[in-house]
Amino acid sequence: MKCQLRVNGEDHTIDVEPRTTLLDALRDNLKLTGTHVGCEHGICGACTVLADGEPVRSCLMLAAQADAGPEITTIEGLSTAPGELSIIQDAFCEAHGLQCGYCTPGMIITASALLERNATPNRDDIVDAISANLCRCTGYGQIVEAIELAAEKLRQRNASPSEASQ
Amino acid sequence: MCRANIVMPVLPQMGFSVLTDSTTQDAARHKGVGASTRRHEDDRYLRGRGRFVGDIRRAGMLDMAFVRSPLAHASIRSITKPDANSLRSVEGVYVAADLTGVTGIVANSALPGFQASVQPILADSKVRHVGEPIVACLAQTRAAAEDLAEAVQVDLDEIAAVVEMTTALDPEMPLLHDHWVQNAFLETRTDINFENAIAGAAAVVKKSYRTARQCMAPIEGRGCVAEWDRHLEQLTIHSATQMPHIVRSGLAECLGLDHAQVRIIAPDVGGGFGYKGILLAEEVCAGFLAMKLDRPIRWLEDRREHLTGGANCREHTYEITGYAAADGEILAVDCDALVDSGAYSSYPFSACLEAAQVTSILPGPYRMRGFRCKATAVATNKPPILPFRGVARTGVCFAMELVMDALAGELGMSPEAIRERNLVPATDMPFTNITNKFFDSGDYPQALSKTVEAIDVAAVRARQKLATGRKRIGLGFAIFCEQGAHGTSVYHGWGIPMVPGFEQATARLTPDGWLEVRVGVHSHGQGLETTLAQIANEELGVDPEKVRVVHGDTAYTPYSTGTWGSRCAVMAGGAVGTASAEVGDRVRAIAAHLLQARAEDIVLADGAAYAGTAKVSLEEVARTWYRQPQLLPASVDPHGLEATVGYRTTPDTGTFSYACHAVVVEVDMDLGQVDLLDYVIVEDAGVMINPMIVDGQVLGGVVQGIGTALFEEMPFDGSGQPLASTLADYHLPVAADIPPIRIIHMETPSPLSRYGQKGIGESGAIGPPAAIANAVNDALRDIGAEVTEVPMTPERVLKVIARAEAKSREAVS
Repeated sequence: MKCQLRVNGEDHTIDVEPRTTLLDALRDNLKLTGTHVGCEHGICGACTVLADGEPVRSCLMLAAQADAGPEITTIEGLSTAPGELSIIQDAFCEAHGLQCGYCTPGMIITASALLERNATPNRDDIVDAISANLCRCTGYGQIVEAIELAAEKLRQRNASPSEASQ
Repeated sequence: MCRANIVMPVLPQMGFSVLTDSTTQDAARHKGVGASTRRHEDDRYLRGRGRFVGDIRRAGMLDMAFVRSPLAHASIRSITKPDANSLRSVEGVYVAADLTGVTGIVANSALPGFQASVQPILADSKVRHVGEPIVACLAQTRAAAEDLAEAVQVDLDEIAAVVEMTTALDPEMPLLHDHWVQNAFLETRTDINFENAIAGAAAVVKKSYRTARQCMAPIEGRGCVAEWDRHLEQLTIHSATQMPHIVRSGLAECLGLDHAQVRIIAPDVGGGFGYKGILLAEEVCAGFLAMKLDRPIRWLEDRREHLTGGANCREHTYEITGYAAADGEILAVDCDALVDSGAYSSYPFSACLEAAQVTSILPGPYRMRGFRCKATAVATNKPPILPFRGVARTGVCFAMELVMDALAGELGMSPEAIRERNLVPATDMPFTNITNKFFDSGDYPQALSKTVEAIDVAAVRARQKLATGRKRIGLGFAIFCEQGAHGTSVYHGWGIPMVPGFEQATARLTPDGWLEVRVGVHSHGQGLETTLAQIANEELGVDPEKVRVVHGDTAYTPYSTGTWGSRCAVMAGGAVGTASAEVGDRVRAIAAHLLQARAEDIVLADGAAYAGTAKVSLEEVARTWYRQPQLLPASVDPHGLEATVGYRTTPDTGTFSYACHAVVVEVDMDLGQVDLLDYVIVEDAGVMINPMIVDGQVLGGVVQGIGTALFEEMPFDGSGQPLASTLADYHLPVAADIPPIRIIHMETPSPLSRYGQKGIGESGAIGPPAAIANAVNDALRDIGAEVTEVPMTPERVLKVIARAEAKSREAVS
């Protein structure tokens, strides 16, 4: 079947079997392999993408459900410019919030959704937001620190946008 | 989390849109050993640009899915291939008989008494665990391959399964392997002065402990893409592995190829933890079919395959007795341990590594007069054992540290006092312990005292007195040492078929003055692309930003046994340091000529060679060697700016990092819930190459250890069926499960390693089950309840509470 997907601001028409998950469509049809396959049953969060700004499990959603539907954002859509890191991505590097990098796209997508709706999350808010994303390497502490750091930097940027753009 | 005792310099990073503003000149200058620099590998991961096996596609590629055994133990009566015309996209169905010339996987221990197994690539006559591959199905998509697998009919005759290791050795149990005499790969024994030592013991405690079978559960599963290169007559396999060179050796053996005909590429790998330290039957099968069909073949493990066919670690039992004198001195320990090694001996570590380790590492960081231990690698109808982070140490530490608390209880001593009485003191270092382990350096009692101070024992005890209701507070300790980077002599003694020797590295100054470093180990989260660059900086003054660390490809890198055994920082680090130093000597000779100075006066720093204030950049040196040799004298060293060297420590007995963990728990006696309120780790990794990365390794390990302690278990029913087939059933720790964790570093240099560094990668996962169980037992001590098994699920905790309360009611009535 044909599906119209809007991903990272671009429109795509793909031809897939009806049973194709959004995850497989993103990876196999659109070659957006930054969204990772973890458990394929909705627990680990490695495949998290944004659908109209809300984090969803792309392994639990069919491509057909995104047909002419929500605007999908993947990790590839978060970078501010080619070769650059967003503030959240940079904070993950700074705080060592990643090791093998496999859960990382899902974590960053989840973190960006949190910081979009809550500019001043406390530690509990952050823990709550990422507790549906599994990481087997970091033990989470440094991920929480990374999101705290990102929140702080986003607040600074928003307080003085001209400086941040330099 | 907070960090103590460490400085975290923050460095600018080119190419990022955000720069930190806390950069200092000192921090910017220091990029070598000891600097918490940002990781080089992060950029691609953060942008979703990593390249994992599942991201690789090839023209004409076929996906492979397996029909796996639904039974734990059965004879194969027949296999019926489906009618190919009835299915779409079908490319082929292959059974054992189709794998012409392929031999099964054999990993024999050299220890006497070992019973060998052959792990078939596809099961031929018999299946020996649920999830064992029987039929390989190829199709144009993974989904179609799975459809095809569904359509294959396998007719099995079930045999009684050997599920429980405590009864597996009974003579009436069916044998897993027909030629065996009992269901055990190996039994190892040691007895050092045991009978003499126990005379006059004032306290004797006898305990039974058990640790559950686990899945390692890296978020990326295993997988491979195999393709045959007709031009090179070479099989290339991209594989999610920790040890590409070992996989290459194993594949060459199973497929009857020359080594030169096999190239293994481990691209980005999404976590390993030991799960990817193995030669896979699936890799052999993919390799064979890629050659046979001359088409690329891909297999990607799914989570259900991992959980049901890959639960392969940590299952131990201990019957252990501790003997102590009245003053708390440990006189001796006696132990009979069983390790559930599953159905086959895995390549390369064999089925015996853990059991063989138990008999030598059980005494831990303590002195004792006598020691007796028997450990059996038991065979069962479960997936074959692999060493999970910490290997046998997590179970051994659990048994030993719970016995320590039990002895303390008998003698009326505090947990910290009995440990202090028995730890090897710093004044005795280096120290050879009762099982001939050579502790290279350290101050174990200081680690304990720092932990006692940081967790604030007095405050916890005061708080504990106030909690007298149904929610109790407990404090637990665990202290242990971890042998890492141990080499030939140690592994030869353990009998494993893959004995590591010299670790090699290549350092090459390229014509533009960058440094290329090639290593046979693989980095999959450990940050070696960063730390090895820091080491090169230490020797050559080259900017770590101008160091390319090449790893994961047998065509590009020198042979290595790979990434395991907490060995990379010491072994690959030592090799890179030695190779870089060798290149450094050659740079000095050229620079000396260019600067008209003596080579011994040349100092390498900040990307240049200095003679006093005169300098020549590494770029100029490289350019001179490669492109302007007319500027060099005839006597120049013809080996150039490239060196491959082998490195090992002398002696090769390994570095001993150590750590003390302390945890405060609250136990809800009505719910059986264990909450972690505070967690302190004092650890000594020797000299830290990158403290930020050390923190990450320790924290990640600790959280895996918390999983072992509280959550993770693959239960099997009486017929050998694994009962947790999703991550909803197999609970991995999530952020909400983790308390704030404080890490305090000590940095006692190892006298053995090049920079004083010690292996620390596995350490974090060793201590938590012991520390948390001791804390739970401390909380429940006044009601007489005691946990002896992990994970300490609410069900298990409630059971020991109920048993203790029933006992006390009986006593009253």
